Amino acid sequence: MQVEKFYYDNKIVKNFAYATIFWGAIGMLVGLWVSLQLVFPQLNITQYGSFGRLRPLHTNAVIFAFVGNGIFMGVYYSLQRLCKARMFSDKLSYIHFWGWQLIIVAAAITLPLGLTNGAEYAELIWPIDFAITIIWVVFGWNMFGTIIKRREKHLYVAIWFYIATFVTVAVLHIVRSGELPYTWLKSYSWYSGVQDALVQWWYGHNAVAFFLTTPYLGLMYYFLPKAANRPVYSYRLSIIHFWSLIFLYIWAGPHHLLYTALPNWAQSLGIVFSVMLIFPSWGGMINGLLTLRGAWDRVRDDVVLKFMVVAVTAYGMATFEGPMLSLKSVSAISHYTDWIIAHVHVGALGWNGMLTFGVLYWLIPRIFKTPLHSKKLASRHFWLATLGILFYTIPMYWAGIQQSLMWKQFTEAGQLKYTFLETVTYMKPFYAMRSLGGTLYLLGVFVMFYNIYKTVKAGKLVANEEAEAAPIIKEEVAHKGEHWHRWIERRPVQMMIVALVVILIGGIIELVPTFLIKSNVPTISSVKPYTPLELQGRDIYVREGCYTCHSQMIRPFRSETERYGEYSKAGEFVYDHPFQWGSKRIGPDLAREGSGNLKKSDGWHFRHLREPSSMSEGSIMPPYAFMIEQNLDTSLTVGKIKAMQTLGVPYPKGYEYQANSDLMMQANSVRINLKIEGIQVSANKEIIALIAYLQRMGTDISKQQTVSQNK
Amino acid sequence: MFKYIKQYAESIANVGVYPIISLLIFFLFFIVLLVMVKRMKKDRVAELSRIPLDNEEVTTPTL
Repeated sequence: MQVEKFYYDNKIVKNFAYATIFWGAIGMLVGLWVSLQLVFPQLNITQYGSFGRLRPLHTNAVIFAFVGNGIFMGVYYSLQRLCKARMFSDKLSYIHFWGWQLIIVAAAITLPLGLTNGAEYAELIWPIDFAITIIWVVFGWNMFGTIIKRREKHLYVAIWFYIATFVTVAVLHIVRSGELPYTWLKSYSWYSGVQDALVQWWYGHNAVAFFLTTPYLGLMYYFLPKAANRPVYSYRLSIIHFWSLIFLYIWAGPHHLLYTALPNWAQSLGIVFSVMLIFPSWGGMINGLLTLRGAWDRVRDDVVLKFMVVAVTAYGMATFEGPMLSLKSVSAISHYTDWIIAHVHVGALGWNGMLTFGVLYWLIPRIFKTPLHSKKLASRHFWLATLGILFYTIPMYWAGIQQSLMWKQFTEAGQLKYTFLETVTYMKPFYAMRSLGGTLYLLGVFVMFYNIYKTVKAGKLVANEEAEAAPIIKEEVAHKGEHWHRWIERRPVQMMIVALVVILIGGIIELVPTFLIKSNVPTISSVKPYTPLELQGRDIYVREGCYTCHSQMIRPFRSETERYGEYSKAGEFVYDHPFQWGSKRIGPDLAREGSGNLKKSDGWHFRHLREPSSMSEGSIMPPYAFMIEQNLDTSLTVGKIKAMQTLGVPYPKGYEYQANSDLMMQANSVRINLKIEGIQVSANKEIIALIAYLQRMGTDISKQQTVSQNK
Repeated sequence: MFKYIKQYAESIANVGVYPIISLLIFFLFFIVLLVMVKRMKKDRVAELSRIPLDNEEVTTPTL
């Protein structure tokens, strides 16, 4: 058989490697900054630099820029070698690389500007969502093109993970991006309330699964055997790992919504599958660690293996903790607390971070044909990163449990022992310690940056690396008795379709009934659409990323109903596009902010938004004084009401043209209320709209009670 | 078409049965998977697991 000569494209690998380092440093720097804002609220500089706008920047940068570029670096390196072929098209590689970087830059500009969809990890506005779709297709096209022209008959397990990643992320992104644009930059989520919540966490959890996990497992299955120079422990286990992982993961989303207004059956479904997930996850971890059997002595000296071992161990810890957190009784304690922040950072810093660093230290010297500049510095990086993770997560675990206990603590007389603010100020030292951990971790990244810079300077990129292989002999007809999996393994498109079917089963069974079955979201007759002013106020709430600190979902626990009032019902959220339940309580829940014991005067809200610490001493909330200056953009009211009507919100026909006069009327009444309290402000300011929204929150259901009492 | 499905689905009585159905689907899937994997030939498995290592380029001293 004639062997063919061809060249691996290392330049694209280098580009993605540089990008992952660069964006990693930026994403972590923003993370460090927002963590410091919780200790020193004065670091909330201008509206563009407030916590609510920067935290999404941190999460998006780390997930899509740092890990995203890390995925592409690893895929472009390993796929070519596993297929014994150059990437399908250099042009597509080029478009993919620059397209992805442009998307990141667009995100970095729009998020601080307050342009957001208000859904966690899906904040990016619709034009960017559209661009992501195109670039993702480019990536898939390039990948499948390469697989099809490969010279290796069988698709190694790493490639299955890449294929599953491609197809599932595409499905997730399309479903989550269901939104109705009302301007060139803004849109409303197609879904509302409970349904939006379910779509969100189906998406959110699977973003973790299919963006942070499956592609990195693919990298593990390639780079760990390479670094250890021995085959994976059990190839059979890897097949079971792959299929059961992708099957189970897709169902697990509802565990983010335990004890919420999500229908009970959907919660149970999420729990059962989350608990089962421990098996494939640990199967994968064990497979990774046992690959090093007989080579453990090398871990002592080989810094690449050190990074990989910690990465796989962190993966094991996070995937043990995940199923535990999915149990209702544990979720009751952990949800909304910093425990979750610790959990995700074990994954992000430990699993994704350490594996990325390991791959970088392994790959850069290879494509530059030179030894690593300093083994010692790499080792320093390893220790800084490992200690950084510990200094980050331990205070956060402590803080999370402490927080939860304080929220739930009653006095002997049966009253809540701590005000919410007391629990916040108690957290400050822990937040400071966390920042220290983050600093150590980031320092490590800078050490790596220097080390890699020196390595690159000393070597020369082998942009086109020569290789030889024989082409595949075309005998695609399945011979009798051929093993079924070998049949799929050879055919990437079939593999993709089977993977698609597997993930769709979960998605459909979980999502469709929630959308269709009326009894899942019992209607409450007194729940009415927002007034135009409240709607505008709500959009400001979304713009400022208030959901990053405030939940709007009171769970049915005495400790919560005592603090916040009646627990939240599914029917209360039917007009919420998007839902704003939140996932973290750095500040208190706001679901009933306008009703019951929580009700405050308009003047209180005005003063509190202008300078939070003036009303709540020790508050770490950013000030929103700029809203007193900024005019409310009423030119969009018509478009917003129209969009809401299209989405099924029952505003009367033609109401959009009356909306602005109603808006001004309500704004004037707020202005008068403020005047009575000695505050002079004109009615057309943003703060008026936000106050109107805050005063509306949670009030509808009490109207119903009044009606039924009168009967 | 969608309307008919919707009408039907709106009136599914015991939606609580869904988790059980899902569990069964997975269980069957997993059993079939286990049996299939068990039946793979040993030498074949060994060959597949060596794919990343076979195309070893000229090794560079990294560290």
